Formats: sequence, C-alpha cells, structure tokens
Amino acid sequence: MGAFDPLVTYEKGTYIETDTGNKVSRKAVITGATNIILGGKSIIQSGAVLRGDLRRYTAGQHVVISMGRYCNISEGVVIRPPGKIYKGSFTFYPVRIGDCVTIGQNSVVEAAQIGLGVEIGKDCIIGKFVIIKDLAVILPETVLPEATVVPPMTVWGGNPGQLLDSLPETHQEMVEAKCKGFYSRFRAA
Amino acid sequence: MSVLYHCPHLDESRRPPLPSSYPSSSTSFTPLHSLYFCEECDGVRCNQCVAVEVASYYCPNCLFDVPSANVRGDRNKCNRSCYACPQCATALQIQPTEKMENDQMISGAPYSLICTGCRWSSKTIGWEFDKATGIASQLAKLDPGQAAKTEFEAIKDHLETYMSSSNPEPIRTSSKVPTRHISHLTQMAAKALHRDVPGLAAAKAKGKVRATAGSRSGGLEKAHTKWDELSDYVAKDAWRGGNDSLGIDQLSEMERPEVAALSKRWCSSWGRSSLSSSVLPDRILLHTKLTKRCPHPSCRHLLIQPDAKSVRFKIKMVALNYLPAVEIGRRRRRQDKGPGSTPMAPEEIEQRQRERRRTKAKAGDEEDEEMDKALERGAVYVYQLAFTNPLYDPIQIRLTQPYPPKDAPPINHHVHIPTQHFTVSALKEAWAYDEDDEDDDLPGLEGASEVPSDEGVSTVGGTLGRRNRISTLGTTSSGLREKRARGETGVEKKANMTKVLLEVEVLPDAKGDVTFDLEVRYTYRADAPAPNKEEPTSKSSPNDELKTFTFWVRLNVGKVA
Ligand SMILES: [Zn+2]
Ligand SMILES: [Zn+2]
Ligand SMILES: [Zn+2]
Ligand SMILES: [Zn+2]
Repeated sequence: MGAFDPLVTYEKGTYIETDTGNKVSRKAVITGATNIILGGKSIIQSGAVLRGDLRRYTAGQHVVISMGRYCNISEGVVIRPPGKIYKGSFTFYPVRIGDCVTIGQNSVVEAAQIGLGVEIGKDCIIGKFVIIKDLAVILPETVLPEATVVPPMTVWGGNPGQLLDSLPETHQEMVEAKCKGFYSRFRAA
Repeated sequence: MSVLYHCPHLDESRRPPLPSSYPSSSTSFTPLHSLYFCEECDGVRCNQCVAVEVASYYCPNCLFDVPSANVRGDRNKCNRSCYACPQCATALQIQPTEKMENDQMISGAPYSLICTGCRWSSKTIGWEFDKATGIASQLAKLDPGQAAKTEFEAIKDHLETYMSSSNPEPIRTSSKVPTRHISHLTQMAAKALHRDVPGLAAAKAKGKVRATAGSRSGGLEKAHTKWDELSDYVAKDAWRGGNDSLGIDQLSEMERPEVAALSKRWCSSWGRSSLSSSVLPDRILLHTKLTKRCPHPSCRHLLIQPDAKSVRFKIKMVALNYLPAVEIGRRRRRQDKGPGSTPMAPEEIEQRQRERRRTKAKAGDEEDEEMDKALERGAVYVYQLAFTNPLYDPIQIRLTQPYPPKDAPPINHHVHIPTQHFTVSALKEAWAYDEDDEDDDLPGLEGASEVPSDEGVSTVGGTLGRRNRISTLGTTSSGLREKRARGETGVEKKANMTKVLLEVEVLPDAKGDVTFDLEVRYTYRADAPAPNKEEPTSKSSPNDELKTFTFWVRLNVGKVA
C-alpha cells in the first residue's frame, strides 16, 4: 500500500536525527526535553510545541510526555500535559502517546492518553484529560471536550465531538503501513 | 481515482460482474480493506453478505463490558453512571460540590452531572446525588420515565398470559379475518419463518367469542376464524401524566431556544418535555463487537471473531491477506500527433489502437500529469498499476479486461494492457528486503527454496489457521530470463510489488467518469488439503498444487473535462 505516495523532503540539516531514528525539526519548540521520551522513528515537524516543562512539582524524575514509535507530529501541533487542582493545589498529569500516532497540523492536544494507531486530523482541539483509545480516528477540526473518552476503532467529528462511525477490522494494518511508509518517505532532500 | 474490489455476494458462477455502465453493479464493489475472505469457500465476502452476530456489548464511555444477560434488562444502555448531555450529547461528568471548611477546600456530596462541552448542569433540572458512583441506580428512584416503564411492563404482562401455546389452529379460509385475531397472525408468521412462533394461546380462543367484540361487529360468530380470548386491559395513569402538558399555542408563543429541538428529543427513551430547559439526559447507548460468519448456507465459518478485551481479533479472515492489493498512480499523457477534437470513425480508432500495440512509446513521448486533473477527450493516458503480494510466496498474475455482455451500453474509453502476464515477488520480513533493495532480480523469484515457517505465517495480522499459499510457479531463473526476452515493457519490480503499465484512451465523444473493470487471475501454490485441518503443513510437498483465483477490480481514473 502507498505504492505511489511521494517522498516528503526537508532541507538537509533542518532536522536532528537521534540514535533511535527520531527526526526532530530544529524549529520545533521542545521545553523540558529531559521529561520527554520518544520511542524512536518518530517525527516532530517544525513549529510543533512539546511542553515537557509542565511537570508535577514534587521531587524526583517525572516523565511528562511519552511517545511511541512511528509517530508523526505535524507542523504547529501543541502537546501539553493536562492539569487540574487536586487536593487544593494545581498539578500536571503526564501525556501518554502510543505507537503510530499521527497528529495533524495546528491541533492542540491536552489529552491524558492517546492509544496506538490513533489518527488526529488537522486543526483539532483535544481537551484536558481526554482518553483516546487504540486505533481511533479524530476527523479534522474536531473539538473533544474535557475528559471525553473515545472508544477503540471509532471515528469522531464535530464540535463538540460525537461518535460518527466505526472502522473496518483491517484498520490496524492500514495505519501501521501508513505510518511506517510515511517515516521511510520523510527524508532530507 | 479509486480501485474497488468485487464481491460476488454468493453468486457461485464465477462470472465477471456487469460492467460499470450498469449502475446496479456498483453495489458489488468495495475497497479491499473492507472485504473478507472465506478459505473454506475460497471466496470473497463483504459486509453486505456476511452473517453478523453480537459477540459482546460495551459502554462507549466507561468502556465497561456489559454481560449480555444484563443488556435487555438495562435496555441497551449503560447502567452505571454514563449519561449524555441533553443539549449537546457529550458524555456528562460527575462533579462534586466544593465548599470552604476551616480554610480548606472540601469537595464532596452533593454531586451533579455537568457537561464539559456546553456547561449544562443537572442542577438545572434538580438532579443531585449523594454518591459519585452508580448514578443510574440512584436515579432509578426519581426517574420520571418510571411511570411509563411500569405501564409498559404491565401491558406486557397482560399480553404475555396469551403467549403460552405455539400450536395454533390450522388456518381456516374466511373472507372476514378480524384484524385482532392474533393466533391467526402467529400462524402466518410461523409459516413464513418455517418455524414455530411462540404465539397466543389459540386453544383458549377455540369456540369462544368475546362478548364485546361480537356484539360490536355483529355476525362474527358465523365467521370461521374467531377472536382470541383477550380480557380488557385497564391503563394506569402514565399516559395522563408527564410534564409535556404544553399546548401547541403555548409552544408557538415561545422563542426558539426555549423549545427543545427535535434532534434533542427523538433519541429519548420516553416522551418528554418539549421545553429545552427540562429535557432530561439519557443513559448512553451500548455498543457492540461483532462476530462475522461466512454467509454460505453450507459453510458458516467464522471470518471475524473479536476479542472483548482488546482491539485484536481472535479470527480475522480478511481479503487484504489473500488478494494482491491493486493501486493506480503515476499518470502520463501521451503526446499524439493529431488533435483529439475531431471525432474518429470506429475503424480509425481500431487502426490507431493496432498501431499503438505494435509501436512502443518512446521516452519523451509522454508527459507527467496530476492524478486528479480532468481527463481530456481524445487523449491517451498511461498509468502505472501497482500489485502488492500479501502471500509469502511469489504469485503469477494474468491481467485482462472482462468481456462485456452483448447489449452493454457503449463505453467512453478503450483500455490496453501492454503486459498481461507478470509475477509479483513474495512478502518477506522487512529486513530481508533491505539487502535486495537495489537489486531488480529478487532472489525470492528464483526461490522454490524459500519456504516460510509456520510461525511466520500465523502471526500476520493475528490470523489463525491461515493456509499457506506456497508457490513455486514458473519462477525459476530460467523462467525469468525467458520473460525478460519476451520483453515486459515498463514493468518495475521492488520487494513484493510489481508495477505494470495501463493505457486508457478517452474517446472523442466521452463524457462523465472513466470507469472500467479488470480481471485479475493469480496463480499460487496451495497445500494439498492436510489430513488434520487444524494444522496445515507448510512443507512444500509433492502434494502441493497450483491453484488460481480470479477476482475483479473496478478502476475509476477520473472525469472527462
Ligand atoms: Zn458480498
Ligand atoms: Zn465460507
Ligand atoms: Zn458506561
Ligand atoms: Zn452539553
């Protein structure tokens, strides 16, 4: 699949490639990098913002954003951990993102959990503490209110987001092929 | 631009589908990823023809698996704490009340339901709860639908007293069949369904005629069919109550936002207020995971069996793992000498086609184009078709155009397939390709020697008991050389994918979509049926036989400008 998908090129030197094959744009804004874990072969495109600095204010090491393999964070995406007042004080909670997750341009994500193979379209707002289960599809321009739970293999859209459809049994294979394909086509010119 | 695959919907004739000029044929074509494959029948199945059963129920909000025994009692809705906002249908959150106590913020009872989408709160309808869990059971006490539920249960109980016998009297023909003659209806239903239907006790009705009915419709006693014995049902008060006592006059005087939109009310379980301020939240509907079976009456094998706990499938027989994937791309327009605007006589078209078959297009003759650009009349387009092999052994493909039926409507294009026979290499693990990437001569093609292990096969896509389709074919190196000599124009091979050319000539008077079907026949080596069906041997034994499978794809290459 993807036999005719074109190469996606970037100017040489504008992306940093890590030992594990992550490709991170020099123009991405990554704060608190020590609190961010990338699984490998994931792409963070230019203008994306990852707020690893918004950590829980207690002693010790805290993972703020963890991301699996073959993820693609498009241009202008903002990922920040959700926070709320708990027992009288404001606390941030970590964001967990699975393998093969694609987030479209300019989407803002404050989810608590994004399962494997989830596809979020462009210009979405994913509210605080949203849980998106495996292999869900969030259509472009969807707004998911705070604490929405998206069950696996479903399609959501609209504002506020509603469950619109479910996906075929082959969706996992399709998503994995797509994400791995995109990674291999994303190269320096 | 689309490539759709044909499902014969259990038609066993293995005839090609009607061409796209028959609109009815469109219902047999769907994308490859939504099709199933039954190994027992060796056939493609689709969502329209598979037999579907519910495997499990779950709540889409709390994701709790609801035992199927409870589903009916719970009326297909989550019976925990999941409610949808009456205004925007977002799942409601449980919010505690916060208050200051000794300079400390304390949160606790009473709890209310709030919507994070539109800020609706259950306080507006007076719903508050003592506990943060089991909202549904707490609500059962004050649920205003209760009266209607009781009424329904009562009328059901009333009717159920007649549902004892499934052995109604034989039908007697009569010109006057009372519409309320339920045993008669039961019998008709049983006849139509070829099985017993638990019906109303006809025996009780024998020879008895309800006095009221008889006196009202007179003369009925003479009819052969008679009323069932059905005592009067006395309605409770439910129909009188309810808060929807507003008249149409009152409604018409109100502003629009005050009146609840129909879209917010039609999913309600019970007749409820037409005032938007008093529409009540409903429990969230349960979702299902489905088991799918082969629809063939003598087969009924499982094609899909979900796992209640995960997104994996215990059984997943999908066409994606059996049929080569066909994709179309890289469109080029052939630069022809003559202008395409003047209509050509049929002989002329024939002539040009023959010419084209003889002379091969030289490089520089063609110009790349965007795939979604409108097609021009009289132009010739050369596409690439990509075939990706999902099997662990090479396959040989024969690509043809099916013959249209005699009186088929005229077509707006001609299709020419320069390379009708070609091979597609086996699917391998990714690392195995890396070494061959540069190499056009994939060792896999030479390879009768390469036999995949059992594990390698069964782990793919979680498929169980997938039969090996071991193929050695005519793909020895000599066979390959032979093919080279014959000259496969424009054939590109990479890993388990082969790209071939496809020429489409848009006729001068063409309009609308250019759509056509292709017949794909592929040959693979299949195991001879193993004595133990559960465990097909993967060894390429002398019992292996060459098998062919034919399917049809429908290509839409765009619209004529
Ligand atoms: Zn079908
Ligand atoms: Zn079958
Ligand atoms: Zn629930
Ligand atoms: Zn709402």
